[in-house]
Amino acid sequence: MKPLLKTMTIAALSGAICAWGVAGSAQDYYAGKTIKVVVPFSKGGATFVSAKFLEPFFEKHLPGNPSIDVVDRPGGGSILGANWFVKNAKPDGLTILFTTSSTANPYVLGKKEVQYDLAKMRVAYSHPFGAVAYTSPSTGVKSAKDILKPQKPLIYGGIAAAASDLPGLLSFEVLKLDIKAVLGFPGRGPIRLAFERGETNLDYQFTPVYLTQVRTLIDAGKAIPLWSGGSVGPDGRLTERDSVNSDVPSVFEVHKLLYGKEPSGQAWEAFQAIASVTYAFGLTGYMPEGTPDSVLAIFDKTVAAINADSEFQKASQEVTGGAKLFPSSVAEPAVMKSLQAPPKLKAYLRDLLSKKYNVKF
Amino acid sequence: MFEHAAVALELLLTPMRLLALFAGMVAGMVFGMLPGLGGVAAVSILLPFIYLLDPFAGLALLLGAISVVYTADTITSVLIGAPGSPASAPTAIEGHALAKQGQAARALGVGFLASMVGGVLGAVILLFAIPVAGPIVLSLATPELFMFAVVGLYYAASMITRNWAKGLGAACFGLLLGVVGPAPAAADFRFTFDQAYLLDGFSLTIVALGLFGIAEVIAMLASGGGISAEATVLTRWGTGFADFWRNRWLVLRASIIGIFGGFVPAVGASASTWVAYGHARRSTKDRSRFGRGEIRGIAAAEGANNATIISDLVPTLLFSVPGGPAAAIFLGALFTFGYYPGPRMVSENPDLMFLIVWSVALTSVVGAALCFAITPYIARLTTIRFALLATPLLLVMIIGAYQATNTTGDIAMLIVLGVVGWMMKQADWPRAPALVGYVLAKPMEQYFWLSNQLHGWSWLVRPGVLIIASFILIPLLVQFYRRTTASRRGAAADIATETAAPASPAAGHPERPYVELGLAAAMVVAFAYAFIEMLGFAADSRLLPSLAIMPGFVFAVLVLAGQLRRFASTERRPGGVTQYREPFFLLALVIYGILVWAIGFNIATGVLLAWMLFYCAGMKPLTGLIYGAVIFAAAHGLLTLMKLEAPTGSLVNII
Repeated sequence: MKPLLKTMTIAALSGAICAWGVAGSAQDYYAGKTIKVVVPFSKGGATFVSAKFLEPFFEKHLPGNPSIDVVDRPGGGSILGANWFVKNAKPDGLTILFTTSSTANPYVLGKKEVQYDLAKMRVAYSHPFGAVAYTSPSTGVKSAKDILKPQKPLIYGGIAAAASDLPGLLSFEVLKLDIKAVLGFPGRGPIRLAFERGETNLDYQFTPVYLTQVRTLIDAGKAIPLWSGGSVGPDGRLTERDSVNSDVPSVFEVHKLLYGKEPSGQAWEAFQAIASVTYAFGLTGYMPEGTPDSVLAIFDKTVAAINADSEFQKASQEVTGGAKLFPSSVAEPAVMKSLQAPPKLKAYLRDLLSKKYNVKF
Repeated sequence: MFEHAAVALELLLTPMRLLALFAGMVAGMVFGMLPGLGGVAAVSILLPFIYLLDPFAGLALLLGAISVVYTADTITSVLIGAPGSPASAPTAIEGHALAKQGQAARALGVGFLASMVGGVLGAVILLFAIPVAGPIVLSLATPELFMFAVVGLYYAASMITRNWAKGLGAACFGLLLGVVGPAPAAADFRFTFDQAYLLDGFSLTIVALGLFGIAEVIAMLASGGGISAEATVLTRWGTGFADFWRNRWLVLRASIIGIFGGFVPAVGASASTWVAYGHARRSTKDRSRFGRGEIRGIAAAEGANNATIISDLVPTLLFSVPGGPAAAIFLGALFTFGYYPGPRMVSENPDLMFLIVWSVALTSVVGAALCFAITPYIARLTTIRFALLATPLLLVMIIGAYQATNTTGDIAMLIVLGVVGWMMKQADWPRAPALVGYVLAKPMEQYFWLSNQLHGWSWLVRPGVLIIASFILIPLLVQFYRRTTASRRGAAADIATETAAPASPAAGHPERPYVELGLAAAMVVAFAYAFIEMLGFAADSRLLPSLAIMPGFVFAVLVLAGQLRRFASTERRPGGVTQYREPFFLLALVIYGILVWAIGFNIATGVLLAWMLFYCAGMKPLTGLIYGAVIFAAAHGLLTLMKLEAPTGSLVNII
């Protein structure tokens, strides 16, 4: 048995035992109640759509069948919604902050506007939100192994270095690529259009968009898939392929392919920390500090039931290529590890961002 | 293709889907009419309901709302003078001026008909464009998007005729509002003062409501009378129809401008409306009525903005890149139903594409007809005491602002900008250039920076850039040619009408020397302070702020100098100021804002209602109590519907 599976089994078992302990109350705990899922982004965004996608499955499988109310609280690149959450949510499992690394990154980087202590919160569940890098055939690159010798300078289009582009930019650091990063686009969609117009030639898109939009470009010979961020392996490192995009290698593999050895050093450590909260545990349901284990145990059981639901599997296959939910017992330790990044790593990130990308702290 | 069109029509013509379409349309009309609650609010509120319907009915519900918002907000723009969005600002300026002259029916008639034509034409274009629009959208690279924003700003500025220092100063102020928040070039946050609230910059709704809506409500409260001195007569639509028919080609041209605007994500709506408006101005011989009630301005703006909101769906459906916030929510809805817009969708789901076209076309026509039908009833509202109408309107605006981030900051910002907007109105600073400057600042800066990064300076000679730039250059050259030939003939008739306007200050507009002086001084201070703050920014993020601040400072100083000269030379008439009630209402609004922050929405609103209904409107105790309770309950109903929690007090929290 692989170590991860072992931990998962132990966690599931202990979860089951806990759940047994509160079984009577668990059944009633959510009965007739409403869980508010706060999304700190606007309604049209991917996070809101994902929350709505998961809503019926949680309503169906949470014991007591509570109703779920997804509300949006956009603003400040998710900081406003998260700030509101710490001030208003009670640790009773009835309010969940469903968000992405856009909330985690400013926390890790220590932005002044952040009023929430994410590392003290609880993680109820998490959904992977992988991303795949691809390039234009005009660069002469046929696969990841040619990436060091493109025929044209590589131009990457992004939104902002200290936000959701951070893991992508770090992956370029890990692979020691010579790219020109043009930041300041208004969104991922316009970036994809700029790629199609040939204004940029290197791009990352998140799985749902990759599957529905970029695959078409690849089939038409207008894009070449390169690599994915990867997923967390048994040893807790970001070494495995992304299960949804298993046809492309991970950044880890590409490094081995290009340099003949495993990646190491500050850039790799930073990439692992940031990429795991962005990709592997990309969409995370946080509960306030002090939420009891009994509540998290209910969610552990629910997540297992949702993953086993054939309807969920079918829907998830269509939307995310079959990504499954992570229970609290798996997601929480991994997310916390990334959030409590050592000071040395934070210093590296701040240094890289301020020197190379003009970010002011 | 046509068999799909027939199949789609059949799919739409089921009772459930038609019901959904028209329910959406009614919601879109109601929210379009309420100031500050445009398409985004309508679509957000309808969103939960689509999950109860089948995919086609659910999408029809949203489309019904999207396609009539710009038709319905013509009513608010004309009757109240508060535009629902920057794209309706020209209608508010020209239409409200006409309404004040008792010609509301004419303005509305032209507005509805132009809206309908814009909508139907948009739908037809959607039908034919979708198979071929891909290359057009892809040919618009970042430099073209930048150029388009510049053209929009240029055309918006072209309406400044009366006092160019005030007009350009207002545009610079708008640009300055637009640069608050993240800089595209460096990860620099400008003018945020470490407040998380300002990290995203100002919300569009709040800027539009603050600059226009609040000032109008204050004026309504203070005046007590109706919009026009006599009751608005809305029985004769005849003149409106005749006006529309006379300007049918203008409406058509404006709609085509609007359709192209829709192909340009994010910049589209406001830029194309102003281009159409500017086109109307240039193609009119006697321009003296522009800004004071010119029917051609309405015809052009309404044709363009309806066409844009529909052709916004082209980039949404072809590339999954929404053209505006309402289209973004529609895109999210498509995702939840398992449709992934993209080039494949045209071939994979032709029925859906045609369903969208039919829905949009049908609601554009029915929506316009319905607007004609309900307007007489709505116009009757304008004959009742305005303090009664202003009370619910003010609450709707506050709730509309509050949906931006659901924090007290929204209300504070609305009131601060409301004070600025009120002062601008009193001091005769045009507010539309400020609004357009605000809207276009961000895309202009973003696409300028991206263009230079991606293409170097070579983007300046791209064919697309030159074609779009010709929208500015050709009219300029034509004008120059006309002027030279005219002056050669010795008769400068064209120029005479052009310069006739500034000589006469807005007739009947009472002078407010203190407000004028105060605003000019405040602008000088604001620009000077912004300059000092700007010195701390990274070099790359200083460009646009300095383009706003440097000229803005100069214009503000010029205006201030002029005011000081006039202030010194004119005699103060005693009693002229004390007669004047508006500042007290403004002060009351500020106090209300402080109360909301301190003791929460419920008590503060109760106090406000009591003051407005009993003191301002002089209602009898019982009727006032009932009316107040109804408004209060309706406000809470609206909050619940929009899933908003009423702000609680920061100091004392009782209810």
